[in-house]
Amino acid sequence: MIWIYLLILTALSAAAFLGGRELARRRAVGAHPHSRPGQHGAYALIWVAAPALLVLILLSVFAAPLERQLTAAGTPDVVAELEHFRRDAFFADAHRVGRGEPALQIWERPLAEQLPVEARRMVRIERTLQWGGGAAAILAAILGGLFALTQIKPQTRARNRVEGWIYGALFICSAIAVLTTLGIIASLAFDSFRFFQKVPIFDFLFGAQWSPQIAIRADQVGSTGAFGAVPLFVGTMLIMSIAMCVAAPIGLLSAIYLSEYASRTTRAVIKPLLEILAGVPTVVYGFFAALTVGPILRVFFNEIGLFLMGGPLDGLGQYLALVQNQMALTAGAVMGIMLIPFVSSLSDDILNAVPQSLRDGSFAMGATKSETVKRVLLPAALPGIAGALLLAVSRAIGETMIVTMAAGLAANLTFNPLDTVTTVTVQIVTLLTGDQEFNSAKTLSAFGLGLTLFMVTLVLNIIAHRIVQTYREQYD
Amino acid sequence: MKFRIFRSAEDQTGAGAADPTESVRMGGQVLPEATSSKAASAVEARLEDATPVSGPTVVATPPTGPIKIAARDVSVFYDGKQALYDVSLDIPDKTVTALIGPSGCGKSTFLRTMNRMNDTIAGCKVTGRIAMDDEDINDRSIDPVLLRARVGMVFQRPNPFPKSIYENVAYGPKIHGLVSAKSEMDGVVESALKRAGLWEEVADRLQSSAMGLSGGQQQRLVIARAIAVNPEVILMDEPCSALDPIATARIEELIDELRERFCIVIVTHSMAQAARVSQRTAFFHMGRLVETGDTEDIFQNPRERRTLDYITGRFG
Ligand SMILES: Nc1ncnc2c1ncn2[C@@H]1O[C@H](COP(=O)(O)OP(=O)(O)O)[C@@H](O)[C@H]1O
Ligand SMILES: [Mg+2]
Repeated sequence: MIWIYLLILTALSAAAFLGGRELARRRAVGAHPHSRPGQHGAYALIWVAAPALLVLILLSVFAAPLERQLTAAGTPDVVAELEHFRRDAFFADAHRVGRGEPALQIWERPLAEQLPVEARRMVRIERTLQWGGGAAAILAAILGGLFALTQIKPQTRARNRVEGWIYGALFICSAIAVLTTLGIIASLAFDSFRFFQKVPIFDFLFGAQWSPQIAIRADQVGSTGAFGAVPLFVGTMLIMSIAMCVAAPIGLLSAIYLSEYASRTTRAVIKPLLEILAGVPTVVYGFFAALTVGPILRVFFNEIGLFLMGGPLDGLGQYLALVQNQMALTAGAVMGIMLIPFVSSLSDDILNAVPQSLRDGSFAMGATKSETVKRVLLPAALPGIAGALLLAVSRAIGETMIVTMAAGLAANLTFNPLDTVTTVTVQIVTLLTGDQEFNSAKTLSAFGLGLTLFMVTLVLNIIAHRIVQTYREQYD
Repeated sequence: MKFRIFRSAEDQTGAGAADPTESVRMGGQVLPEATSSKAASAVEARLEDATPVSGPTVVATPPTGPIKIAARDVSVFYDGKQALYDVSLDIPDKTVTALIGPSGCGKSTFLRTMNRMNDTIAGCKVTGRIAMDDEDINDRSIDPVLLRARVGMVFQRPNPFPKSIYENVAYGPKIHGLVSAKSEMDGVVESALKRAGLWEEVADRLQSSAMGLSGGQQQRLVIARAIAVNPEVILMDEPCSALDPIATARIEELIDELRERFCIVIVTHSMAQAARVSQRTAFFHMGRLVETGDTEDIFQNPRERRTLDYITGRFG
């Protein structure tokens, strides 16, 4: 049904455009029109389409509740006296019958007689709303069009008015993104506030014990749980550091290769490949970490452990022989690999922004390529590269899938890369998946973690963008 | 056919005076006083039988004194497209040689052949022979990195490195391992800055960033950077085109002083500047060297129609 209306509206809009343009041409004869005919046409089109679309949007928002109200209002007493959920079921069945489908339940005597009656009534209400809505939309379109027709005069500033509408439409689109962000912050802040009413913020930020699991049932011992997030912060930092140890040098060196050494053809091949690598979903890296890298590292360390056992380093050997698949090193290393294209592509852009005249100056002094890179380009690009690395850090902190699959769940407070650790993001996932009691401190703690994570990455991003920005301006 | 060769006196008070660098300031060299239309028509008459667009280079006067760089039949191709055609030019030592000609005629390209900067441009090929002190600089045995220590270069836009003033001057000596002790380096930096006429202005802020200097100071810093490695030749590609008249005058004075120790080749767009600072001039047109000789000769007595047209501002 809605499609027919849209079709009609499209036709009306097109007619408004053509008609408005033609009319503007005729009325312009002999005068000095302010705007061109096409602009008058666009103005008429907007006045036909915008009111109609507004009506249709309102309709789609309010039609369902309105329909429910109308249905409930006119229903006979037998139905109205039903319990709440049974009445809903009855209306649902009436709706089905109205569409010619069999009812789901068998209703007893008085209700069974009412069912087809109510079904017919519901169909009627639905029809009325649809037709009424459509008619209202078309009416709005026609009224808008008539208004636009009165406005087609040589002195009307149609061009400026159309620009105003375009400005408004674009502004609304970008406002949606901003408002969504604000909404996310607000909901995070609200739920975090509830969490911090149950758990003091100081205990959360500085407590060394994280065990939210025991808090599920109120009758259990220790039902308060422990919400010290330090082990999570440390785990996050540990994995992030390992990832950066992999991503920073490799990414930077490959950027230097790409921007300074690679020939045009090599660059044309490698650059898109790196960009494809950057587009691989992180869950795929997660497989890679859990099923390939993890076992390889485990076997590697276990072998070393077996070799050392019984020798002077027996204690270390015992430990290494028991190393598990899931460890900070696996997750960190794979996350580092994931970040390489990110770091290298950003650094490549930044190196390319260093003016060619600096390279020429250095070469003309008799410097070699590597001397030029080391003594001129890297120092000149350093602020920008630092910014790029900070952006990578903020991605590493927010990364979830790889750590969920490869780092483990145990909240150990450790700096040992061979231990299983857990991160803020992994905890958020485990706290919120599955059936959860919504008001428990356990569930709410996820919002506390989320807010912390959000603040940290936000600050990192702002600093990084600042640095990159000022660096760019330096050479503009 | 009637045309004025040199701007008349009225013209100079009008449009000419707007740009002080272009006003005829006599710095040893003399622009032809040929403002009289009689002298002009004499030249015109001599050149009336139009010279061919291409032909052998006219050597108005051969250079006196020892030759530092001798180019023979140098051609340059960018991605197979020829930009320079069989240029043969002798560049004498301890002299300023100006390369003039309209934009895109190959002046910069020719300049870059002399320190092999064309090697750094992908797809660029140089043929012919360029000898410096009778040694082919394109020979396999010559390392371009070492050649560039002997042949310094100054670019159109000042390009100091984003480091301290001191570090900029010390750059060359450092990478070539010329000095080891810190005190020795201080001496090298100081004497290079003094010779570039910048010492007085920056002596008390050697450690501050070179980016904070004015354009003219930056250009003199770049010259100091180039002479810190004690080169034999200094190539300058329109070194004043990004500077104001006062900074330009300072650089021109500096070039005149440096001439005593170095062989200098300068590309310039300004006829007045070529006349002021150079002793030898080479005129390029469409990738060919048209005419070369003593600056005075080229400006007062051009033998080629195209040279005359160019120095009188009829094209380019
Ligand atoms: N890097 C380059 N790649 C391709 N063509 C070039 C390059 N540099 C210069 N050319 C071409 O060579 C010719 C001479 O240029 P150039 O030497 O810069 O002239 P000038 O310095 O006299 O203005 C021009 O036609 C120019 O387009
Ligand atoms: Mg040039």
